[in-house]
Amino acid sequence: MPIIEVEGLVKEFRRPKRFGGPFGGLRTLLTRQYVRTLAVDGISFTVDEGEFVGYLGPNGAGKSTTIKILTGILKPTAGRVEVARVVPYQERERNALNVGVVFGQRTQLWWDLPLRDSLELIGRLYGVERARHLANIKRFTEMLALGPFIDTPVRQLSLGQRMRGDLAAAMLPEPRILYLDEPTVGLDVVAKERIRECIAQLNRENGATVVLTTHDLDDVERLCRRIVLIDGGKVLYDGSVEKLKAQYAPHRRLVVQLAEGARWHGVEMAGVTEDILGPGMVAVRFDPNLVGSADVVAAVLARHAVRDLSIVEPELEDVVRRIYAAREASF
Amino acid sequence: MSRLIPGVPTTPPLALTARQRLAAYWGVGVMQCRTQLLYRGDLLFRLFGVLLQVYLLSLVWEAAYPASGTAAGHNGHRIALSTQIAYVTFAVVQNWLLNSGGMNFIPHRVREGSVAVDLIRPMRFPTQMLWVHAGATAAQTPFALVALPFAVLAGGAQAPASAVAGVCYAVSLALAVVIALLINTLVSMVAFWTTESTGIFVMYRFVQQFLSGSLVPLWFMPNWLRVLAEWMPFQTTTYAPLAVYLGQARAAPVIGLQMVWCVALFGVLRAVWARALNRVVVQGG
Repeated sequence: MPIIEVEGLVKEFRRPKRFGGPFGGLRTLLTRQYVRTLAVDGISFTVDEGEFVGYLGPNGAGKSTTIKILTGILKPTAGRVEVARVVPYQERERNALNVGVVFGQRTQLWWDLPLRDSLELIGRLYGVERARHLANIKRFTEMLALGPFIDTPVRQLSLGQRMRGDLAAAMLPEPRILYLDEPTVGLDVVAKERIRECIAQLNRENGATVVLTTHDLDDVERLCRRIVLIDGGKVLYDGSVEKLKAQYAPHRRLVVQLAEGARWHGVEMAGVTEDILGPGMVAVRFDPNLVGSADVVAAVLARHAVRDLSIVEPELEDVVRRIYAAREASF
Repeated sequence: MSRLIPGVPTTPPLALTARQRLAAYWGVGVMQCRTQLLYRGDLLFRLFGVLLQVYLLSLVWEAAYPASGTAAGHNGHRIALSTQIAYVTFAVVQNWLLNSGGMNFIPHRVREGSVAVDLIRPMRFPTQMLWVHAGATAAQTPFALVALPFAVLAGGAQAPASAVAGVCYAVSLALAVVIALLINTLVSMVAFWTTESTGIFVMYRFVQQFLSGSLVPLWFMPNWLRVLAEWMPFQTTTYAPLAVYLGQARAAPVIGLQMVWCVALFGVLRAVWARALNRVVVQGG
């Protein structure tokens, strides 16, 4: 039973056409000509309860627009959307009771006041019983290690600390669905890792459905079992990370470092190609569905003195780059 | 669906009860009030301006008043100089409290895109904003109370015309607060239509200050202007309650009119919001 259903979703933004030159501003003000942009162009997908989905795309792909439609902030131009059997833009406030949101680029905390005050108020906003809410605050304070800065005004927190505070704020009302809109944007490597750990734990322990929007592919590889890849407002791929790699980057590479003085003679096997990377370094590219890795390794070792061997899996980043490149080329 | 506390089943509420809603809005107001109090230095500065305004206005009225010490208001009422100066003193302080607060809450949210955060809450946006404005006004209240005796020193004061007038003034003032909050929220909604609203607010402030009677009471306005002001909601925030206090207007019609404005403005606010929501294009992100 899907908890999120999106079908044929379209969102068109319309703004008055801008004019340059003398009186350009005035003409802009009075014009009836509009520039239309399709931010979302016929997107469909469903998400089951408890799933962890990566919603992925480059800047301007329509990710945030979709999230804003799912939260009821924006009204779609066309299409059907239901979240826990509520149509978000028709019943925004009712939808809000089911949903927690983290916007990486902005905070839902009260900027000038201590973090604790924001967290305590959240309970009131969502009508959570007080004892239960205080227990939840205690739990999240431990899980997200908020203790050292919970009494500090939010504006004095580091970005990583603030993001943990925002995660707590989103989770405190115990939402069934959690939207994370670029939660690691702007964070350093250590802070990113910490946030990812927390998110994984939240999904594991609370079973909340999570939709993670990002263009950071490390986020996705670490966290998501399924990804929905979009660009230009359309779905390019919907499925597991493994299948995506298999479909778009089936090849693996065996990187061979030859022993001192050894020469490369090549391996003659069907479906195997070679790249000379440098003196004594060769990459052998093969499709594991056609040739077993062990056979390739054996073939290399049979003819060469080798110092080191490693098999390189395709990186999601390469895969996605290839998909976008192919898409652009097709225009 | 698993829950945070094992063994305690919860079904997500379909909607918050009226009581829960009130608690939520109240909480938003309190947070705004506390935020505002962090900037009390700014409040103190502005209060100094208020005292100066009271002092200068009373100088002007003393100089302008006829030697007899009374002047004719509309429909033949005689206004004593002491009444006039008491009016000016109270009006300036009251207008500062009700109408000088931030107009910038909604424009700031729209510009920064943080309106998205307000919209993910299970609360009505206009009501939420009303409480934000209320929180800001609440933060100003202690400062207005402290300033009042100094304002009386700089200008003057008068006891209420009667005990009944005093009580009616309190009721009328409460309604004035609600009307001022509604107008402020309503006017700041303009931010959904234009990203540059500062100029509009400067103009609005001037019109509001004049038509509310906080510079010149309605009884000294030329007839056509007085009629115009009477038909606008602004005078019900400043002039009307004070006219009741000083015995220059009957309480019942004033309070009745204020109630009508409360309902009407709330209706307009809801209608404007319905249109604004269609315009929500959250900036950035």
